[in-house]
Order: sequence, then structure tokens, then C-alpha cells
Amino acid sequence: MSVYSELAVMEGVIAAGEYAYRGDRYHFKGQLSDEMARMASIMCRATTMSTHMQSDILCANSDNCPFEEAHGWIVRGPQFSVCVMANIFCFVQNEPGVLNRVFRWMRERLMDAHEMV
Amino acid sequence: MSSLDNLIGLEGASAAFEFSQSGELTDHRVAEGSDLTAETLDLLAHVFVANIAIATMQARGWEKTTGQGGFYPIQGFTLVGFEWSTVGNGRRGVVLRNDVADFEAAYAALEG
Amino acid sequence: MIRNLLALDGVLVVCHFRDDGALLEGYGMMDDAMLERLARFAHDYKRMVQGNTDQFSMFTGLPGWAPPRGWNVRGAQHTVCSVGNLVCFIDNTEASLNEVMRELTEASQY
Repeated sequence: MSVYSELAVMEGVIAAGEYAYRGDRYHFKGQLSDEMARMASIMCRATTMSTHMQSDILCANSDNCPFEEAHGWIVRGPQFSVCVMANIFCFVQNEPGVLNRVFRWMRERLMDAHEMV
Repeated sequence: MSSLDNLIGLEGASAAFEFSQSGELTDHRVAEGSDLTAETLDLLAHVFVANIAIATMQARGWEKTTGQGGFYPIQGFTLVGFEWSTVGNGRRGVVLRNDVADFEAAYAALEG
Repeated sequence: MIRNLLALDGVLVVCHFRDDGALLEGYGMMDDAMLERLARFAHDYKRMVQGNTDQFSMFTGLPGWAPPRGWNVRGAQHTVCSVGNLVCFIDNTEASLNEVMRELTEASQY
């Protein structure tokens, strides 16, 4: 079972997917239309590229930088959050315990993934 | 107790900081033993301002295009490093150790 | 060839970078380490601008924006401008931004 398929069935997860760092390929499972998943992939890739650039610049310009490499990011809205690690994204409900549980699971599975899963 | 004292009290917190709307550092606390500097925290503050602006653009576009609400207004952004993460909103941020990080508590404390 | 861009007023540095961000060639008033950093920055920034332009096109459906040709970031004294895989570092008081962007566009097509 792929990482995103496992994520998609976790409690509180609305949908999960993976996107290619280059090109337009993506796969997903969950409560999103195909077009929404395509858009989510484009958005998540753009933010991932941006955080990589920011951590590069951050560490090139400060001593003792704790973000030598950006491994992921989270955006929190009023009802939903987006959690991304490596090239895997998931949309989660803002219910107690969900974000922490999903993040912990993603960290265990994906923290060592330097490029793509 | 100030909101920065609340943030630095979170488990695994090594720094808490406050910044202006444009990202300049205005106040900070650094935990004992941490080697984070004001200069690094100032850069992180700018990271929050930049990413919250981009995420707001994404949330606006997403909601308009898909009709699905729930992302706007953006309440916060987290950058995940290997050992550390930094969680923030448009005014404050905190640096947390990943192995004990409680993101939900951090977001709740940021709102306070 | 890109060295000719240094002849324009106010152009302090010019670099050509590869698609992976490595420096191919660079000339001007920076040491090698700084040229490499400028190349890496321009590459990263290019990808970020590409990502944001893709999203703008996606949300608005407007044609004519993606793929982006270039970008520039203007500071108080200096501006970094880039077209394709070329990047220039210029002095705002001496350089004409329009001229530099035009010449970069031409040079990027060589």
C-alpha cells in the first residue's frame, strides 16, 4: 500500500496524495475531485519549492540554523489544515488530535525521504 | 504572563518571538541552552509573513475555484526541518523540537 | 558572450546557471563563492516564480502568464533581474532596468 493510500484512511484525513517534483503527475485517494487533486498538487509543489528556497537562504545567512533542509510544512485554516512532507500531501480536519497524529505518522514514514517517495 | 511566556512554555520550545506585519522581530525569548539568535528569529519571522501571504492567495483561489471553504483566513504556517519545526501566525512564532512537538497546542497558544 | 552584458551601465554581475542551479559561468564584481550563491538563488527564485505563476494561471484561467519569462526584485540600491537561466545584479542609480531586462531577454535566446 502506498504512503498516501495509508494516510487517506486515517481518522480525520479528508484526502491524501503524492505529486511529482517535476511534471504534472499526481495520485490521490479521498474526498477530492480529480480536478481538485490536480490543483492541490500544483499548489503543494509550489509551496514545497518555496520552502526549500527559504531554508537554503535562511541557513546561508545565519549561524546555527535549525532548518538545514525543509522537510515539510503545514498550513492551518479555520476548518482544515494541509500537511505536506516530501512529495506527499494530505488535507485534514481541524479536530482535536488529528494534526498531531497525522504529523507524527508522516514524520516517521517520510522524514528520511530526501527527494521523492 | 505574556503570550511569549506561554509559547516558550510549550514542550520542546527553544524560542518564541513576536514580529511586525512586515516581519521585523519586535520581541523574543530564547530557552536556556538554545543557540538561536535574534537574527535567525528575524529571518523566521519573514518566512511566516511570506508563507502566510502565499497561503492566503492559495486559499482565496482554492475557495473561489472549488467552492470549498475552510482555509481562509489562514491561521498559521509551520516549517518542518529535520529536528526542529517552527509554528507561527501573522504576529508570533515558536520553534519546537519535532519529537515532542504538539502543533495543535502551539496553534492554540498563538491565538492567545 | 554573456560577458557583454557587463558593458551595460550599472550591471555589476552577470551569471548563467544550469537547470539544477549550478553556476555555468559568471562575471563581474563578485568572488566565485558569491557567484555560485547568486546562481543558486536565481534558480530557486525562478522555480518559486514558476510555481506562483502556475497557480495564478490556474485560478484565473488567464492566458499569457505561464510559463513566466523572468522576474526582478528591487532593493533600495540594487536589483536582481533574471530572464531564462541568466541573472544580473545591477546598481539602481546607474542601470536602466528596461534596458537590462531587454538585453537579458535577447541573451537568453542565444
